[in-house]
Amino acid sequence: MTTDLLIWLIPLPPLLAFGAILLGGYRSNRLSTWLAVGAMVISWALGLFVFAQAVQTDHLGANPFTSSIPWLPLGTSVIEIGVLIDPLSAITLFFVVWTCLAIFVYSIGYHNSGKPRDAEDVPGLPPHAGGIEPLYARFFAFISLFAFGMLTLVVSDNLLLLFIGWEIMGLCSYLLIGFWFGRESARKAMVKAFITTRVGDVFMLLGIVALYTATGTLNFQEILRSPETLNRLAETPAILGLSLAGLIGLLLFAGTVGKSAQWPLHVWLPDAMEGPTPVSAMIHAATMVSAGIYLILRFFPLLTVGWQPGGPLTTTMAVIAVIGAFTALFASTIAVAQNDIKRVLAYSTISQLGYMVAAVGIGAFVAAAFHLVTHAFFKALLFLGSGSVIHGMEHGQAASSKSAAQAMPGQEGPAGAHEAHDHVDAQDMWNMGGLRRRMPWTFYTFLIGGLALAGFPIVTAGFWSKDEILSSAFGQGQPVVFVVLAAAALLTAFYTARQIGLTFLGKPRSAAAEHAHESGRVMLLPLVLLSLFSIAAGWAGIHHEFPLIGGAIPNFVEEFVGQALTEHPEALPFAFPPLLTSLVVSLGGLGLGFLVYRNLPRGATDPLARWLGPVHVLLRRKYYFDELYDFLFVRPAYWFAETFVYAWVDRKVIDGLLHGVGRASLRLGGWLRRAIDLPVVNGFGDLVGETTKAAGRTFRVIQSGRVQAYLAAGLLFVGLLLSFLLLVKP
Amino acid sequence: MPFLDAHLLTWILFTPALGAVVILLLPADRPRLLRWAAFGVSLVPLALSLYLWSAYQPGLPGYQFVERHDWYVNISSSYHVGVDGISVPLVLLTTLLTPLALLISWSIGERVRAYMALFLFLETGMLGVFLSLDLLLFFVFWEIGLVPMYFLINQWGSANRSYASFKFLIFTMAGSLGLLLAIQLIGLAVGSFDMVEITAIWPTFREPFVLAGLPIHLSVETVKAIAFWAFVIAFAIKVPVWPFHTWLPDAHTEAPTAGSMILAGVLLKLGAYGFLRLVLPLYPEQAQLYAGALAALAVLAIVLGAFGSWGQSDFKRLVAYSSVNHMGFVILGVAAAAKAYGTLSAGEAVTAVDGAVLQMFNHGLSAAGMFLLVGVIYDRTHTRDLSAFRGLFPLAPVYGGILLFTAMASLGLPGLNGFISEYMVVQGTWPVFTAYTAVAMIGLLITGAYIMKAVGSVLHGPLNEAWAHHKLEINRREVLAIAPLMVLMLSIGVWPIWILRVIEPTVLRLFG
Amino acid sequence: MIPLSWYLVLAAALFCIGLYGVLGRRNAVAILMGIELMLNAVNINLVAFWRYLTPALIAGQAFAIIVFAVAASEAAVGLALIISIYRQRSTVIAEEIDLMKW
Repeated sequence: MTTDLLIWLIPLPPLLAFGAILLGGYRSNRLSTWLAVGAMVISWALGLFVFAQAVQTDHLGANPFTSSIPWLPLGTSVIEIGVLIDPLSAITLFFVVWTCLAIFVYSIGYHNSGKPRDAEDVPGLPPHAGGIEPLYARFFAFISLFAFGMLTLVVSDNLLLLFIGWEIMGLCSYLLIGFWFGRESARKAMVKAFITTRVGDVFMLLGIVALYTATGTLNFQEILRSPETLNRLAETPAILGLSLAGLIGLLLFAGTVGKSAQWPLHVWLPDAMEGPTPVSAMIHAATMVSAGIYLILRFFPLLTVGWQPGGPLTTTMAVIAVIGAFTALFASTIAVAQNDIKRVLAYSTISQLGYMVAAVGIGAFVAAAFHLVTHAFFKALLFLGSGSVIHGMEHGQAASSKSAAQAMPGQEGPAGAHEAHDHVDAQDMWNMGGLRRRMPWTFYTFLIGGLALAGFPIVTAGFWSKDEILSSAFGQGQPVVFVVLAAAALLTAFYTARQIGLTFLGKPRSAAAEHAHESGRVMLLPLVLLSLFSIAAGWAGIHHEFPLIGGAIPNFVEEFVGQALTEHPEALPFAFPPLLTSLVVSLGGLGLGFLVYRNLPRGATDPLARWLGPVHVLLRRKYYFDELYDFLFVRPAYWFAETFVYAWVDRKVIDGLLHGVGRASLRLGGWLRRAIDLPVVNGFGDLVGETTKAAGRTFRVIQSGRVQAYLAAGLLFVGLLLSFLLLVKP
Repeated sequence: MPFLDAHLLTWILFTPALGAVVILLLPADRPRLLRWAAFGVSLVPLALSLYLWSAYQPGLPGYQFVERHDWYVNISSSYHVGVDGISVPLVLLTTLLTPLALLISWSIGERVRAYMALFLFLETGMLGVFLSLDLLLFFVFWEIGLVPMYFLINQWGSANRSYASFKFLIFTMAGSLGLLLAIQLIGLAVGSFDMVEITAIWPTFREPFVLAGLPIHLSVETVKAIAFWAFVIAFAIKVPVWPFHTWLPDAHTEAPTAGSMILAGVLLKLGAYGFLRLVLPLYPEQAQLYAGALAALAVLAIVLGAFGSWGQSDFKRLVAYSSVNHMGFVILGVAAAAKAYGTLSAGEAVTAVDGAVLQMFNHGLSAAGMFLLVGVIYDRTHTRDLSAFRGLFPLAPVYGGILLFTAMASLGLPGLNGFISEYMVVQGTWPVFTAYTAVAMIGLLITGAYIMKAVGSVLHGPLNEAWAHHKLEINRREVLAIAPLMVLMLSIGVWPIWILRVIEPTVLRLFG
Repeated sequence: MIPLSWYLVLAAALFCIGLYGVLGRRNAVAILMGIELMLNAVNINLVAFWRYLTPALIAGQAFAIIVFAVAASEAAVGLALIISIYRQRSTVIAEEIDLMKW
């Protein structure tokens, strides 16, 4: 009971911190830091306590911690919202609180807390060098809300509350990607991220609605742990030959495609690098993109209903597997040709998410969940590490331009100083090189993260989870998925080696890199912490039949996470081909990469560009997807909105019709006036008046006003009358 | 308070009008006094409706606080007022928005006395529609509201105001004409204008029509269908449903800020209220028959309204078009209820109507808030052109935060009010009109696009240096005016039961 | 005794002279004088008829006196008007006093 109550409390501290910072805390940067980080620490402690409780509970899958309250009355029924901790949410919670905490702490250093504000800095633009971020408090407010959204999503026991957390994260990603909104590119990126994910979200909303209509509930337990409900959904036909379960599954999966940046909605994620680096880590590791995978893992029973392990995939699963595998390969090819240190990581995120999606698609629930956890740790590490690199580069740039400025007076400085004076892109890997000497801590932690990403055997977490996915693909009899994922793994190892080689090895290729220096302790601490997890997290899921070390450590992931399903998935027998493949691709890719990019001099061009020629351009331009979408969707939509709907339909057709009616009425009125009012009605009135006037004019001559004339006339008439009376009458 | 209880609705209804008369007696050259007097007067109905809200008992069937007096005895029309769960939230909305709109009208500098008086008259007109239980009374108030609004746009509007006010008036009058005829038809046929009686008799009315001794040689069904469409068109113009919506962007854009707030916040609700109060109860069969057409129009309103909004370069016009989009959801809910009425999926009808009523309330909050914010920025910059702003967030952080908040409520972000009602409408509509609902999602997507366009153009991007030395921040009075709206948006989004508790029992009784 | 017809002839002659004065003269004073003559012709008739036909009754004399009174007041008012007009327009010619003519 108390644990149930504690679960409710997990998401709340960051929300309260958000409110407190917004309603006054923002006045003090120090207070904001304490509020945000303190709240996150409370959530972290609560989360770990709940996780510990969950791990100690027997049969947690069948008896999860739940508690709910009625929230939204819908006619005859009421939607209840509540919290749920089952194995899946427990391990998700585990990595979310750790990575979030690491990112929060890292942000303090990243935003130069405690430094004075640089007078040149303006809100909405990144600080020039060394000064505290002008919108420091706002950053912590937003990131707290972000954490609240993710924690809500993880602990929710129903789809509606999950959707609420989901959308709040959407808002936060919008705000944080556009945190430096003073840059035009950031403004574009924030809108792009929001709209692209919203495409998936509206499908997901339909999925929610359809699910509620079909089952009368949105509670995970009631739907997903009830075979009758699932079977009924699987047997009800919907459209296009899909069962209702398949349709709902695909609609929900569309949400994942948007949120986890799967092809074809992957375009927003690389642009999301416009945000500060902790945000990138937050989005790409701890929260946003994980949420999408979490959703399909959560709905795994619904997505796979009607599928027997080892049997042919259902349509829904096939779609998921194909999109996942394709995305994994597709994104890794792009990553090979990127030069921006964060963009490489962005595409690697898309690629790794593709792995997880593909794993769900082929029914490898545990493998996908395992990779989700390990990926969160090592990708957070990589992003924070790259942030540390960029931070160091920016400092180096500031330092070099300062020294150049000092060298300037008097005589012309050396050519190098002059060059250093030019502003170089602090994120372009071709401006780096040799940073391992200047930033050793960053280098070694980054190396651990990179090796984990590449799946360096045995010692890194990434190896175990990725190997698990590969062996599942192999074991489930999905050779195509297996080959595609293996190819992607090769490329992953290659571009990771390229990235490490370009960034840290060789000699510095710019003055900024020469002057770069190690980041502060508050930034390095999270790196160290995350690198520990990037190694150790893998040990929790070693296959018990693995040669030599199998069984030495219990396969915790398999046992614990597997419980989340009604039927505990049977562990696949161990097989050597996938292991060998993963060894070969990982080591081969890494070796190849190190060979090529180990020691490139200043001003070198990418050897890959020489070898691949136009293909490299295609890759560097990301297969022209942005341009394609712009041509296919964005511009037609603008045209439709501005020209068709507004200018044509509303202004020309509807208003034109109205104005036509108006003009016709005016014309009719005019005609009535001219044809009837004026001649007939007015004419008659005028006629009476005119006739009277004419008569008066005619007769007025006799009205001379001369009394004598009147008298004479009177005399005449009297005479005539007398004559008549006297002469004629008798 | 027995006396207050017995005449509560009359007090609510006529205090603004009385206040308007008092204002007309005050000296015209003391704008400060006039503003505060009008604001003070408008607080009285607000206080009374808060009391009404607390005293209203959702569990009881039928109308409450009913008051009835003879009025036009000769044609059996009476002064009959009462409230139920559909009208109580709307009364509260009206009495809440009026003081806030008056508070934002401080920038009105000329003919303050006439402005304030007209505004209070307008409030009486709008409240009358929500309160009256007599068709003729309903129509009278329906028309009364039109006149002050016309003058508010025509006298205190911006550049193109005479065109806009004329369009507004003519459009609405065109609808009212059919409405009046249909009301007379029903009144003569039933022999009463009392809504309670008519609702009981009219839906099953089967006798041939004899009007003034002239038998109309049309079947009862045809006459009813014609009357149905007369009602529908009158209300559809007011809502407005596509394609009767083009008066709205013009009127909203040209009206003064407070006028736009009331237009979007309350006047549009009159039409939707008419659908719920009159069209569905009086014409269940016709409504069921034509529900598909209505749903199609609603979807067109949602989708094309959103696109129309997206296509604007004028901030205020963009917000105005968003009303078409949002009110489309109300009508979609109504259409679903009409289709599902009396069938097995009546539960969906309840959800859809619940959502529609809540959406009316929510749109009242968010649209009024958005117009208020447009007004605030317009006051300072004297432009509404979106391309003229750019990057104002650092100059007006509080304003920016409030704009973001309100825009998100308007967009339907979960956790704020818009989501609850849109979800309920979609949930209720999906089983009834699956395909339409799916198409309406395009509108939801584009809603995101136009909100982003507005917010992004005003707040984000490189600062437009033209404003660098302007004072753009929102002032305390304006914050005070929007704060109640924000509190309501958040409270409905987080804990919707407090308002659904009032709406739902009535809807359940009417459509369950 | 002088027969009645003589008086009547005298009165008729006097009346005709007065009528001529009224119709033929342009001078307003002369017109007024013509009117006086016509009134007096009537008076002669009145007195003559009384004396010859109804000497017992007083009505004939009374009528004649009333006519005197009317003639006198008419002359007074008429002359006052004429003097007033003369002062305004320096003329007493009837045709020239056309202030109210169309």
